[in-house]
Amino acid sequence: MSEAAPVTPLRERAGQALQDTFLQQALTIATTKFIGLRREAFDDFPEGEALRDRARAIKEATLQHLDRHLEQLIDSVERGGGHVHYATTADEARRVVLDIAGRAGVRVVVKSKSMATEEIHLNDALEAAGITAVETDLGEYIIQLAHERPSHIIAPAIHKTKGQVAELFARELGRPTEPDPEVLTRIARAELREKFLIADMGISGANFGVADTGTIVLVTNEGNGRMVTSLPRVHVAVMGVEKVIPSMTDLAVFLAILAKSATGQKLSVYTSLVNGPRRGGELEGPEEFHLVLLDSGRIDQLAGPLREALACLRCGACLNVCPVYRQIGGHAYGYTYPGPIGILLTAMLNGPGSVTELAHASSLCGACADACPVRIDIPRMLIELRRDGVERRLPRWPERVVFGVLGRLLRRPALYRLAARVGRVLQRPFVRGGTIRRLPLFLGHWTRTRDLPPIAGRTFQERWARLAREDHP
Amino acid sequence: MTTRAEFLARIRTQMGRTPGRFTAEPSPRPERPRERFEVLRRELSERWQDNLQRFRHEFERVGGVFHRVDVAAAVPAAIARLAAERGARRVVAWHGEALGVDVAAPLLAEGLQASAAPATEVEAAERSRRRALAADADLGVTGVDLAIAETGTLILVSGAGRPRAASLLPPCHVAVFDRDALVASLLQAGLALEAWHDGAAPGTRGASINFITGPSRTADIELTLTRGVHGPREVHAVFVEQGLAPRRG
Repeated sequence: MSEAAPVTPLRERAGQALQDTFLQQALTIATTKFIGLRREAFDDFPEGEALRDRARAIKEATLQHLDRHLEQLIDSVERGGGHVHYATTADEARRVVLDIAGRAGVRVVVKSKSMATEEIHLNDALEAAGITAVETDLGEYIIQLAHERPSHIIAPAIHKTKGQVAELFARELGRPTEPDPEVLTRIARAELREKFLIADMGISGANFGVADTGTIVLVTNEGNGRMVTSLPRVHVAVMGVEKVIPSMTDLAVFLAILAKSATGQKLSVYTSLVNGPRRGGELEGPEEFHLVLLDSGRIDQLAGPLREALACLRCGACLNVCPVYRQIGGHAYGYTYPGPIGILLTAMLNGPGSVTELAHASSLCGACADACPVRIDIPRMLIELRRDGVERRLPRWPERVVFGVLGRLLRRPALYRLAARVGRVLQRPFVRGGTIRRLPLFLGHWTRTRDLPPIAGRTFQERWARLAREDHP
Repeated sequence: MTTRAEFLARIRTQMGRTPGRFTAEPSPRPERPRERFEVLRRELSERWQDNLQRFRHEFERVGGVFHRVDVAAAVPAAIARLAAERGARRVVAWHGEALGVDVAAPLLAEGLQASAAPATEVEAAERSRRRALAADADLGVTGVDLAIAETGTLILVSGAGRPRAASLLPPCHVAVFDRDALVASLLQAGLALEAWHDGAAPGTRGASINFITGPSRTADIELTLTRGVHGPREVHAVFVEQGLAPRRG
């Protein structure tokens, strides 16, 4: 296991989120805006649908020969003067990075936004080793100052008000200020600019690794990715193995759909292609470049039930459209990756046992699969995870009893009809105004937030039998 | 620590458990990408006006400011005007040969503190000094290797005389280009990337290629769009109607 399980149950975490009025408002505004921007971007781009299929095919083809593509990536990176490291677990990835930092005498690290380094909880390890690690994406910087975790894959501080950010800057940076995003951004620019210029090491993730050329590709809007890969004397990129793509031709396909899916931009402001250390004649660029290839549960899924999730681009589109994410936000999920895809990635990294509850945090409406730029069938895998949970007898006994009984009834028509008649009598005390508002005992969980339609006065089967008689007297 | 062999062996073991389950093919790679890109360039040179118009539209949509001058010799004056409007004094620029026009000398003559990047390798101390200069500069002037009409994107290849910092550290970035840089689409830029990586890179080529689509921006605080969070607040593209001098690198 690489991540600790949340302490409180999902029900409580979700309940808290539902009571947080600002969070509710922020989630609605942000996700609605992202949905609209994404739709507009694809409406203006008729070739988008074909490119989504193309992108998915490239991912499948790459996974199909993952060893070959990774070998090629490794060789190209080494040819360009970079070093490649291999991390089977999150713990090993942390040790690799600490080892590089130790050898290079690193004291200050600047980081660009990277879910892979979030996933392995790298900052904690760096701090424990006495190394200052500074997140430089504005959203990540804010949540780092607040000692929190990101709540959205691409908008990590979506849950914070400008007032909260102003208070945070006053407290943590000693810079009291008005709650104006423009002013707050200027303060962060000044603080972080200083860090970029003194940092010894830059740590980034990788949106793509191009096998052919040994190129690490970073997509950002702020420009921090460029700083992190150009100014410090050491650059470390931590990349999940599934991020490798064969060629620059393939890269163009992914770039054409990635930003549109994430923020509705045609392209993010900066797409940076990094080919290892500084070359002769250049004024900037690191003296050392290290690529850390991360497994951490991914490789097992090459032949596993979550294989499709290896195609994920981390664009966040499925979060924005998910009726559950839109209500509870990212933190309630309890792990690094929130939202529909986050449940699958959590299962991949921490084992299926970690998502026993989370696999049910979905209405299976399919909006995520529609929004996914590479058309990952997320609901199908959520159902598989649920089945896995049931097969391991994880549900509590009342649930098992209820579904056991239901299973038997559904297989025996006579018994089913009898049960309907009995149920009609038993439900009488609970029906108020045509609906069941409250059920007793553990069944009350169901009716706490929704009504249950009562068993009809005449069931469909009874009416059907009657109609049949009337038609053929 | 896991070795390369162990790591790849684990992958092969897992791959062995999926025989014939998936049939997708990777993208066909263009053959002889350099030649194909040259052919494309010739085709594009006949439609450069359409592409320029589209580029301008998209570039302005993402917050860029478009300028047009007749000849390369008019570029320094255009930059001096931008500097004057902003009260800017300190300018860092690409080397004249990488830019296609020398801007540092004329700007110095105008009384600005302008410096062009060296065209060859310099010592570490000089690199630090140059970096500090860029960090303090008000204006950064660069060339452009490709301009994508579809997205309003400027593509800059780093290298000798082509510092990355000039388009990153100053609050205002001025990029100078001509019709040779224009391509229609992102997929055409993909062909250019293939061509650039085909065979050995020229010795002056750097380790970084950047796509720049408008000024640095963030919406991380309450989704309020704010410019210039780390990179430049302003990006200007100066189009040289009659073309720049042949560029190096």
